[in-house]
Amino acid sequence: MALDGWKERLFQKYLYWICRPARLRRKLSDLVKEGRAAPPREGRRLRAAALQVKIRLFKDPLDYAAEAHRRVAEAAAAGAHLVAFPEDNNLPLLGLLPGVEEMGEALAQGEAAPPPAAAGAPEITVADVIRYAGPVLAPFLHTLYSTLASAYGLYLMAGSFLLPDGERVVNRSFFYGPGGELIGTQDKVHLMPIEWEWGISPGREFNLFETAAGKMAAPVCMDATYFETFRILELQGAEIVIIPIANPEPYNYWLALRGIWPRVQECPVFGIKSALVGRLLGFEFTGRAGIFAPAELTPDGSGVLAEVESPEEEGMAMAELDLEALQELRRRHPWRDSNPALYRRYLPRLYCQLEERLKLKPAGD
Amino acid sequence: MKVAALSLAGVPLENPAEYAAALAALLKQLQTGLAVLPAHTSFLLCAAQEQLVDAGDFAASFRAFMQKARAWNEVYLQMHCRLARENKLYLVPGTTIVEEGGRFFLAACLIDPGGRIIGWQRQTHLSREERSFGLSRGEELPLFDVEGMKAGLILGTDARHPEVGRILALQGAGLVIHCGAIATGPELAAQPAGIWAQVQQNQFWAVEAQLKGSMGGRTFGGRCAVLGPCEITPGQTGYLDRDAEGRPFAAAELREADRRRIKTDYPLLELLRPEAYRGRLPELYGEV
Repeated sequence: MALDGWKERLFQKYLYWICRPARLRRKLSDLVKEGRAAPPREGRRLRAAALQVKIRLFKDPLDYAAEAHRRVAEAAAAGAHLVAFPEDNNLPLLGLLPGVEEMGEALAQGEAAPPPAAAGAPEITVADVIRYAGPVLAPFLHTLYSTLASAYGLYLMAGSFLLPDGERVVNRSFFYGPGGELIGTQDKVHLMPIEWEWGISPGREFNLFETAAGKMAAPVCMDATYFETFRILELQGAEIVIIPIANPEPYNYWLALRGIWPRVQECPVFGIKSALVGRLLGFEFTGRAGIFAPAELTPDGSGVLAEVESPEEEGMAMAELDLEALQELRRRHPWRDSNPALYRRYLPRLYCQLEERLKLKPAGD
Repeated sequence: MKVAALSLAGVPLENPAEYAAALAALLKQLQTGLAVLPAHTSFLLCAAQEQLVDAGDFAASFRAFMQKARAWNEVYLQMHCRLARENKLYLVPGTTIVEEGGRFFLAACLIDPGGRIIGWQRQTHLSREERSFGLSRGEELPLFDVEGMKAGLILGTDARHPEVGRILALQGAGLVIHCGAIATGPELAAQPAGIWAQVQQNQFWAVEAQLKGSMGGRTFGGRCAVLGPCEITPGQTGYLDRDAEGRPFAAAELREADRRRIKTDYPLLELLRPEAYRGRLPELYGEV
């Protein structure tokens, strides 16, 4: 690995020092002095907040923590029982690394991306950077979001983080309970081509989080492109599927429609989309955070309960989710059907053939 | 290949000769290699020509049609085979009811330019109402050759079940033909959750014929469309064409080179993760 010299190790020690949980806890105890618990839930109803976060780099992790606290406090003040942050929610902490902010500014002003490594020098991949910074960031992020969840007594999907897991680097979402306990995580299963290029490894299964407030899941971004994600979760009992996104393309209504909205219509669940927006390191992230429901549960049939207006600015979409109404819809659904004989006849063979075909190709090629 | 989806709005239904002449005039104008009619076309024609309709009760009318369908299909199929032959095009004349061994299926056939029926597709998923009629589900999703392109049919409620599109796509479908009928009301807003969504997650073309008209007290108002992956359609909408007021069809040329390009640039199906579905799909599915 390229970053294995003593300077790198020294800098890593510095990162450990400024990200140490004790420092963060002191900051958080100042910030959440006036924290208040979410209002009690009424029956099987809960208020959900989908955050739209405008990305910027932080040189001090405590500033990042203060920003995360501000967003949670605002959502809690509005009565949220469940708050969702976006995908790649640790990217702002790349600002801790020397030169990243300057590189971002240069890229924003139209300069070309840095050239590849000189001949003979090892190439540094995104995965290498994550392996270097990840061990420092993981405990910091856990302390931060766990503390925020318990301080405000709400369910908190902290977004997804690029983190090392042994030799692998994964895009992993984290889901905390109102006591600050980590209820579960979900590795992104369907990777975008660029993530394969970055050296990210895909998840291998879909996880259901069973909570007192309902059965939830938090697959990541591109996972919502494929009906399989939602069908597996629905059939496992999911009632709320949270999708953190960081969509690196200019906003287009129809392109953005290809994710969570049709999935929620196909597999009756509530859907929460949290979005990262803004420009960073040559990427333009857009999206509209929103809360979605089966069309039959929205008065105008739109399937949209709430949506942030701008695809580029900070925002929050908030709506009440009635899980009993969802269960009632499932029991008496007007058009939903199942044909297991058909699926058994085709799906195992076709998935198997696809898997064999993919094995013959290099990953992500 | 140029394709078209027709809504039947404004087409006279009561008289077979007038119906055939109106449709032939429209097909001549469109000059397509494939034309698709909406769901319930057979029911609609039978009702109009045989006075089946109970004006206030769609369900009663439909049940009456089920009993008449076997005899009626001879007239209906003959009429549309002739239309295909005379206009030298592939034609999917909407859906009808077929009976086999005492079981009833919603089904559609594909007729070739020689006027021969080259295959049938039975609807594989049924709405609550369709189940209440005593209909049965089809259990096959074959592909047919349409001018060198592999084509599959998605009927009615199947549009809302993404397994259907996925099965067709993984078998190699490049084109999907849909016969639909969406009742007016809030349900119309969800139309993109059907064929549009299946196109986007499978990167095939689709010709979506939606019924416009009223029958048995029920009004249908979905929009006909020709669809493709967003990236190769104007404005990245996913639509090559849609019907409009006074224009009861959608028609467009399918440029297969464009579809091949997007499948290379953004190979969605190759980014599927079948190992993550193993032991879940189809194992988790239960009966409704």
